[in-house]
Amino acid sequence: MGMLRIMSRRGDERVVWDSEKVESNDPETVAAIREAERIFNQERARGSTAFKVESGKPVERIEQFDRTAEQIVMVPRVVGG
Amino acid sequence: MLQTLSLFLGIWLLFLLLAIYYLSQAPDGRVGRFRESVSEHLSAESRAKVLLRELLSENQYQQLIKFGYLEVNSPTIDSRIYRIPGSGGLVKVYERGCAVMELCLQPAEPLPDGDVVVMHKLMIEANEEEYLQKANHFAPGIISLRCQHL
Repeated sequence: MGMLRIMSRRGDERVVWDSEKVESNDPETVAAIREAERIFNQERARGSTAFKVESGKPVERIEQFDRTAEQIVMVPRVVGG
Repeated sequence: MLQTLSLFLGIWLLFLLLAIYYLSQAPDGRVGRFRESVSEHLSAESRAKVLLRELLSENQYQQLIKFGYLEVNSPTIDSRIYRIPGSGGLVKVYERGCAVMELCLQPAEPLPDGDVVVMHKLMIEANEEEYLQKANHFAPGIISLRCQHL
C-alpha cells in the first residue's frame, strides 16, 4: 500500500492507494493517486516539506510526488521560534 | 459553621447548574462547540500517537514514554545527539554527553505533540543542515519552555 499522510491540527490525514494495482491502471487506484498528487502539490505550494519514509531505508526529503513510495509524510511549514 | 458552608455550596451548585442550562440553551451552541473541540483534540492526539508508533522503533517509543523525550543521532556529526521533548519545548543538542545548544523550531500551524516529535525527527534525519538553518539557536540552559521532561 502507498500512503500520503498530511500533518495538521486534527492529526494526520491520509490518502491510501494500492501500489500493486498502479501498473494495471485500476480506476480506483488511479483516482486515489491523482488525489494524493493534487494534495501533495497543494501542500508543497503552502510551504510544507515532504519526506519519503520506507522501512529499512533512511528517511528522504522529496520535492516531487512519488507514487511508488511506501509512505510520504508531509510536515507543515516550520519557523524558528 | 457547617450549615453556612453547606448553604454556600448549595448556592454555588445552583449557579453551576443554571450556567450549564443557559449554555445548553444558547442559540449559537457554545456547549456543542466546546464538546466538538474537545473531541477533535482527543482524536488528533490519538492519531498522533498512531503515527508515533508507526514511525518510531519500539526502543524509541519506549524512550519517549519512559523519559518524555526522543533522542535522534545526528546523521552527519559523530557523537551529536538531538533530544526532542515529547510535550513541546526546545530541542537540546548534546555532543559527547555535554549540552552544547538548544534549538527552537516550530510548525507554522499548531500540531498535536506527537506530530511535532515526528516532525523534528524527520527533519533532522533527512535534512539536518536545513533544520539547523531554520531553528533559532540558544546557549544551553538559558531558555526553558514547557521543559518538565528535560
